[in-house]
This record gives sequence, C-alpha cells and structure tokens, in this order.
Amino acid sequence: MPGPSMSDCAAIDPLVTPYVDDQLPEDARAQIERHMRACPPCRARVTAERAVHDLIRARRGALSAPCAPAALHSRCLQHAERAANAVDQPARPSVIAFPDVASRAAQAQPPVPVSWRRRLAPLALAATLVLVVGAAFLYQLTVSSTHVMAAELAIDHMKCFALNGALHTHDEASAVESSLLTGFGWKVRLPAGARQEGLELVGSRPCLYGEGKIAHIMYRRSGEPISIYMLPDTARTQEVVQVLGHRAAIWCDGKRTFVVLARQPQREVERIASWVQASMK
Amino acid sequence: MARSQGLLQGSPAFEAEALASLESLYRTALRLTRVPADAEDLVQETYLKAFRAADSFKPGTNLRAWLFTILHNTARNRIRDRARDMVSVDSDAVERLTEAPPPGRATETPESLLLRDTLAPDLQAAIDALPEAFRQAVWLRDVEEFSYAEIADMLSIPIGTVMSRISRGRHLLFEQLNHARSLNV
Repeated sequence: MPGPSMSDCAAIDPLVTPYVDDQLPEDARAQIERHMRACPPCRARVTAERAVHDLIRARRGALSAPCAPAALHSRCLQHAERAANAVDQPARPSVIAFPDVASRAAQAQPPVPVSWRRRLAPLALAATLVLVVGAAFLYQLTVSSTHVMAAELAIDHMKCFALNGALHTHDEASAVESSLLTGFGWKVRLPAGARQEGLELVGSRPCLYGEGKIAHIMYRRSGEPISIYMLPDTARTQEVVQVLGHRAAIWCDGKRTFVVLARQPQREVERIASWVQASMK
Repeated sequence: MARSQGLLQGSPAFEAEALASLESLYRTALRLTRVPADAEDLVQETYLKAFRAADSFKPGTNLRAWLFTILHNTARNRIRDRARDMVSVDSDAVERLTEAPPPGRATETPESLLLRDTLAPDLQAAIDALPEAFRQAVWLRDVEEFSYAEIADMLSIPIGTVMSRISRGRHLLFEQLNHARSLNV
C-alpha cells in the first residue's frame, strides 16, 4: 500500500485529533478508518477523544455562559468610546486610565461625535453586522448608567437587524402582538398608522439584557433600522442620549422603560418616540 | 471561521463587533489566570490595546481571533513583566510528563454514556484542573471553536503542537472524568 504504513500505530497518532475534529481530507480519513477496523486499541483511543470532544460541544452552552461582571462591560465600552473620541479629536491627548470601581466606570460619557456616521460606509457596516450575530454576546445589568444601557441597546439593535438581514424574517403585526403578550404580558396593539409614518414592521425579538428579557420591536423606514425597546420593571428618566452613532429616546411609563433607537437626527428620533408614546399606550 | 470583511478599523461596527467578544475573552482569561480580578485586568488591557492599535487590524481577517491573539500576547507579557506564575507553560516538561496514552489503555469501552452524563460544572472543573498548556488548547478549540492555525498564532506554537496538546488534553480529561466516576460509583 502506498503512503505511510498505517499498520504502525505511531503513524496514526498525529491524525487522531484532526480526524475527531473532522479536519482530515477524504483519503486520510479513509486510511485512519481502515486502520481502526484492524486495530481495536487505536479505535478505542479515537473513541475516547471523540467522546470528550462531543461532551464539550454538548456542554458548550453552559461552559460559555456569560459571566463577565457588568462593570467590566462598562469599562471596556468606555475604552471603545474614548478611542473613538481620540480618533475624532486627534489634538486631544489620548490618556486612558483604568477606572477602578464600577461606579466610576458607569459614569455618563461625553457624546460620541457625529462624524462617526460620516466615516462609516453603510455597506461595510451591513457586512460587518452579520458577523456580529455569530458572536456570543449577552448583555449585563448596567443599572447605574442610562448611557451604558443605551450603548448596549445600540449594539443589540445592530445585531438584531443584522440577524434579520441574514434570515429575512418578516413578522405580521398580529404575530408581534401575540409574542409580546405571551413573552412579556404586554398587551399592546401596534400602531395602525405605521405605514402612514413610512414605517415598515420587520418583527419582534425577545432580546437579552441584564438578567432578564426585553421586548424589541423592529421597524424600517426607507431601509433605515428603527428599534423600539420595552424593558419591564425598569425605571429611567426621560432623555435622549447619543451613543455609538445612534440616538436613543428614553422614557418611562409605569414600571416599563421604553427606548426608541435609530441612526436618525435627534429631532427625528424624538418625533418617532412621540408617535410611539401616543400610539402604544 | 468568520472573516471580518469590510470592517473599518475604529468604526462603531468595529468596536461593536470587538465588544461582542468580551464574554468569550473573559472566559478565556479566567482559564488563563484563574483569578477573576486578574482576568478582568487582562480583558481590559486587551481592549485598550485593540482600540489603540485598531489600525493594525487587517480587514478581511478574523477580528475575534485577532483579539484572542492580543489577549494571549498580553498574558505572556505579564508573565515576563511580573515573573508571576499565571501562565506557567512549561509545555515541554508537561508534555514529557504526559506521554500519549498507550493505545487501548482505559479505553476498552468508549464510556460515552458516562461522558454524556457528566454535568457542565464537573466538566468545567476537570478542564480547569488540566495543566495550563492543554487547558488553553482544548478550550480554544472545543469551546471557543478556533481553527488549529488560529490557535497556533495565538499561542505562538506550531500547528502540530496545537494538535498534540488538544489530543493530550482530551485524553487527560477522559481519564480524569472516568476516575471521578469510579470514585462516585
């Protein structure tokens, strides 16, 4: 037989792991399988390695459960924003210090310069966001900073629309209303006048944020993504914040906090928020 | 593996995608340091370096792998700087101590039922108990799902060494879990 002697168990050694990982070309795979049929010890060795491989994959969800402290999320987000500000304001010294306590980390940040939006090529963003979907990402509780919350929602907004772009899902209003009722006990009738506002309903998602779920309704207007979030059992003061190239209009209604988030001028986001407030009581 | 095509360094999308890896970076940092506070510092330093050096990221390559490479380089530098035993990768010694399992030994049966019944906390404990070199390799491959080549870049070792460490790590885990089972039976 040509090639390395597979009768020698030592020859099979370097092939075991790529075989278990399904990384071998077909001919090498056939060789190792031939050898295993004739060699019970090597077969057992492969079986053992595969069992561990399969076990870790099966438990991967639990092993990779989010565990990073909320303060770490906040601090790293700050680093991102400071880096962005440094890029936008090159004359400014780029001194970056580690905040050593969570409270400092969660302090409100200076507004992100609007010039980000000009620098961002829309097509590049679209291509990138699809990749964001694949990343394991769960939001952590950030109670002390509305700005941090808005930033995380902005990331979620980008991620969810990227997912929608990849899956091309499109929900009817009745389906969205039903999922909001069953998922959040939120009896809501979506505004009938959405089309007149130029809003096209994309769908809804139960997104993860903090330790619970938040309702996320997605619209598009002229192709531009617009998100409406409802955070149950959360209270925030009314304000509009600018973060990560987006604006978030935030208000509270009873025990629910609402956020309208979009890459639109502030006036436009506030107008949409007013429309949502009037329509979705 | 995902390629971050068209990603503009320093753009919001770049930063959003980078931050989306925070949880996996932190988990990996925890495997490296075993100390939460050190893991947090390591992740912060990784992001600081990444954002400052965003221009050196090559669009079209894997941003997540780039971040993991920074993480591991930072961890190695910290060892040099502090002479601390955080990532004590005396891998040659470890690998000498842990020869390839003799064919057939302890593997006459696949024990797949045992392994399927192993709960995640027990598995996590077993992984954490692995010698550093094997723990990193198994974690990066089986949990974080990087390619051999990406892991080789991160750890600055040849691909063949990556594969042998994964193999040894898996076999050690198999034996460890079997041993734990025999104690419990």
